[in-house]
Amino acid sequence: MATAVATQAAVPEVQAFTITLIIRRFLPEIDEEARWESFDVDVYSTDRILDALHRIKWDQDGSLSFRRSCAHGICGSDAMRINGRNRLACKTLIKDLDITQPIYVEAIKGLPLEKDLIVDMEPFFAAYREVKPFLISNNEPEAGKERRQSIEDRERFDDTTKCILCAACTTSCPVFWTDGQYFGPAAIVNAHRFIFDSRDDAGDVRLDILNDKEGVWRCRTTFNCTDACPRGIQVTQAIADVKQAVLRGRA
Amino acid sequence: MSTVEAPRSPYARTQRSGTNWEKWGWMYMRASGVVLVVLIFGHLFVNMVSGEGVRAIDFAFVAGKWASPFWQVWDLLMLWLALIHGANGMRTIINDYSSSVTLGKVLRGAVFLSAAALIVLGTLVIFTFDPCPSVSPEQLGMLPSFCPPQ
Amino acid sequence: MSAVTAPRSQNKPRPGGTLYRGYTGMWSWVLHRITGVAIFFFLLVHILDTALVRVSPEAYNAVISTYKTPLMGLGEIGLVGAILFHALNGLRIILVDFWSKGVKYQRTMFWIVIGLWVVLMAGFLPRQIANIILEVNGQ
Repeated sequence: MATAVATQAAVPEVQAFTITLIIRRFLPEIDEEARWESFDVDVYSTDRILDALHRIKWDQDGSLSFRRSCAHGICGSDAMRINGRNRLACKTLIKDLDITQPIYVEAIKGLPLEKDLIVDMEPFFAAYREVKPFLISNNEPEAGKERRQSIEDRERFDDTTKCILCAACTTSCPVFWTDGQYFGPAAIVNAHRFIFDSRDDAGDVRLDILNDKEGVWRCRTTFNCTDACPRGIQVTQAIADVKQAVLRGRA
Repeated sequence: MSTVEAPRSPYARTQRSGTNWEKWGWMYMRASGVVLVVLIFGHLFVNMVSGEGVRAIDFAFVAGKWASPFWQVWDLLMLWLALIHGANGMRTIINDYSSSVTLGKVLRGAVFLSAAALIVLGTLVIFTFDPCPSVSPEQLGMLPSFCPPQ
Repeated sequence: MSAVTAPRSQNKPRPGGTLYRGYTGMWSWVLHRITGVAIFFFLLVHILDTALVRVSPEAYNAVISTYKTPLMGLGEIGLVGAILFHALNGLRIILVDFWSKGVKYQRTMFWIVIGLWVVLMAGFLPRQIANIILEVNGQ
């Protein structure tokens, strides 16, 4: 009984407040260009930006469009620019933002805008495909066995296996905003995942691809990508690893 | 139905042709950068801080410096390294921001030409410089003190 | 449940998109670009004015005397400030690229860059300000 009381007391009170969300809207049937629209939403301190967007779509304006799938930070669908920083709407708690000011929500930048918070992700995936993000091996594992790898070898690319392809990093990159040819941080991160995999034999192919004019040398180490990554991947470190590998000529 | 203009050039990998200089450009910026820090800090200290600072600079000051091969080499290195470093930096910025292919080519051409012209000019000046030129009488006082009387 | 109502802000929504709120990494890059372009254009002018030593001592002295006016003296402070930042931040970028712990300490290194910049400017400013004052007094 005593422990139950203690547990109850430890749970902080859930607060309710009204926030203002200013969303960059674009309805291709109506709008000539994107415009800002303001919404007042009642939310709880446990809510995320995604919950606020749902409340607007369900209760206020059904035409508001955005992507979300799992809503738990795994699918990578709902990357957007929240108060000037790329974040996943499902991982951004409203109480962590300054709610005395309106919260600005807009689509990620550098990819073609389709509707409201939805952008065309195809250029992003095209760059991803170009770095051959799959295992290329010249040998077969022993019959009935898997490909073996030491703990140390697995450690080398552990960080870059976490990528969920949400594009928060690539669309936070000032070079990507203006140069559509740049591979972008996400493609380099996913190349890193295979370049430094001891089971993979095509590291040199990927290094050659990223030695391109639009490859790793475009990176200016602004660290926006590292700050934006919702999985905490050290993106700039991964790009630096690939640069060093290109200079050495091997992984 | 309207569409918002795509934010920048579409994604289409252009075919690579010839040598890829990007890696070497990247290396050059860092290598020349380190040397330039030493050269320019030295240059700024001697010209702007030591002695009377900028007030001391005149023809005799430059002539005094270039009478020594040490400062000739110093300034020559600074000229070449800094102009190539700067021109390559401008090239990078143009590549990042010029949306039109033609405009990019024109701007890169302008940067290349101005840098090349100034490298040639600067090199000629350093090597053909005469600290004690024959001058009109009213300019005699501007020559460095080590010049023989004219 | 307690209700807190956010005060309505008087701020007008920004017409374009919002400015990306990057951290020191992004802003140091912005400064690096701006100072780099500024230094490049000064370099072009500086080589041309120095080339006047080949024309005549009189021509060179006439042009260089404009560098000693109070207004140019202030401009030189800006120039030296730009060069010092570009140089120190450039060294930081090199460490980020080539030092194995560079990425980890990039933010610390940025503040070291700012600190060194302040120290070096403090070394340069007394001489330059003294010169500007002498010029203003016409000495």
